[in-house]
Amino acid sequence: MRSNEESFEALFRAEYTRVAGIANRVLADPHEAEDVAQEVFIDFNRLHSATAHYASAWLYRAAAHKALNRMRGRRRRERREFAQAADAGASTMDPQHMLEVSEDRRKVREALARMAPKPATVLVLRASGLSYSEVAQALGVGIGQIGTLLRRAEAALRKEVTSGSSL
Amino acid sequence: MAHLSEGTLRRKVDDQDSLNGPDARHYATCTECQTRYETFADDARVAASLLATPDLKVDVNSAFKRVQTAPAAKPRFGIRLPVIRPAMRPVFGGLAAAVALVLLIGTGIAQDLLGVFNPTSITTVPVSVADLQSLSELGTYGTLTWTTQLQPQFVTSAAEAATVSGLKVPVVSPLPAGVSSTVTYAAMPQAVGVFTFDATKAAAAASAAGKTLPPMPSGMDGSTLTVTVGPAVVEVYGDLMKGSASNSTQINLPQLIVAESSAPLVTSSHATTKEIEDYLLAQPGISPKLAAAIRAVGDPSKTLLIPIPIDYATSTTVQVQGVNGVALGDNTGLGAAVVWIKNGVIYGVAGTLTQDVVVGVANHLR
Repeated sequence: MRSNEESFEALFRAEYTRVAGIANRVLADPHEAEDVAQEVFIDFNRLHSATAHYASAWLYRAAAHKALNRMRGRRRRERREFAQAADAGASTMDPQHMLEVSEDRRKVREALARMAPKPATVLVLRASGLSYSEVAQALGVGIGQIGTLLRRAEAALRKEVTSGSSL
Repeated sequence: MAHLSEGTLRRKVDDQDSLNGPDARHYATCTECQTRYETFADDARVAASLLATPDLKVDVNSAFKRVQTAPAAKPRFGIRLPVIRPAMRPVFGGLAAAVALVLLIGTGIAQDLLGVFNPTSITTVPVSVADLQSLSELGTYGTLTWTTQLQPQFVTSAAEAATVSGLKVPVVSPLPAGVSSTVTYAAMPQAVGVFTFDATKAAAAASAAGKTLPPMPSGMDGSTLTVTVGPAVVEVYGDLMKGSASNSTQINLPQLIVAESSAPLVTSSHATTKEIEDYLLAQPGISPKLAAAIRAVGDPSKTLLIPIPIDYATSTTVQVQGVNGVALGDNTGLGAAVVWIKNGVIYGVAGTLTQDVVVGVANHLR
């Protein structure tokens, strides 16, 4: 029988790429996504057995939630930093850096962060390649609800992002 | 026929063959559903496009090393609950072994060698502090191995608690006045442990504690008990971290706790009922009063014993959900609890409330 440490390593190797991918789907920032994924695994290892049958579902949901929370924090931080820079005469802001930030990508991530947790999570998990069954397990809902949740979430995302645009 | 649901049409976007029978026939002739489908498919395409990200390249080996060397995270509630800390599992295992043995005393190991303990009713036995200390040492008289690990854990919702435990999570309605609606859920799947009596180990443990044990009967040394516990769920009401988010040493007491667990099941391999009961009740520190009380239990294989510290608590029999339960505490509001067993499930409600309120909560659990 494998020790818990061995089981955790096996779980980590099997799921890390996918968990980081879910976080990256929200954050669109590989480094930050990996930070989130590692925090998720550390939290999991602290609270649960690596052989728990729900391990993957827990990791997927936690990755989405933690990334969405970080996105909300990032919005607050960016607003704060922007205000501080403006107070300082905006001379420290690098215009080139500002241009490098994709406006569309930023709008999408901000829209995700504004959405309620469940529809945002459904979108992120499904876009990350999880099956209906996997999304249902991660959310703790019946598989029959996923189609409806997904449909409403997609409509909400499009409305959030495209209001005032041609999409 | 009614139009197809949102979910049905959305699923078709991902699986063109998902419609069958009447749904497929309806869709083939319904222009409204076809139009809705086109809208849904377009929204799905746009969402997928919006959420597209470049492939993520990760170095799993480096990432695993970082996780291994990461400092321990701060516990969620500012305290570490011992039952969920991996390093505490052996300690918890010892406690569980002691509990199993206490259960076993209560069973009298039924009436024969292969006795089964699966309680359907509940009663109390008075215990002294010395009794409790002696009983707590019983876990050192052998080796406990979990064949299905104990996996108690915090979960984020009643739905997740139900998923983890497989139990219907009790609903408190109405919530007593003054009790916070903030709920923390914990859940545990079923766990199975095998306790093997070991005369040598028992003697060594007793010797280290300065005690001499009665000789373990030859039929008992090496015999095993299989203990099945859980699944279980616990709901804790109260804002546990209110006002202490920055101080990990402070935690508010819960206002109300509701627990539910399948009744434990204990089976014995080949030691006789009488051997084990006589041996356990002859342990140094077990008072004659406790031994007499346990022996006086009517049907030990079907009765769950609740030890009541005689100097610290009182108990009464109450009617809960149509069965007899045991109520502890009083109506001062300092603290009260009620425990009952129904249809193979043990329930408990406790809180810093009056006994009347606690029993009221228990009777209205759904």
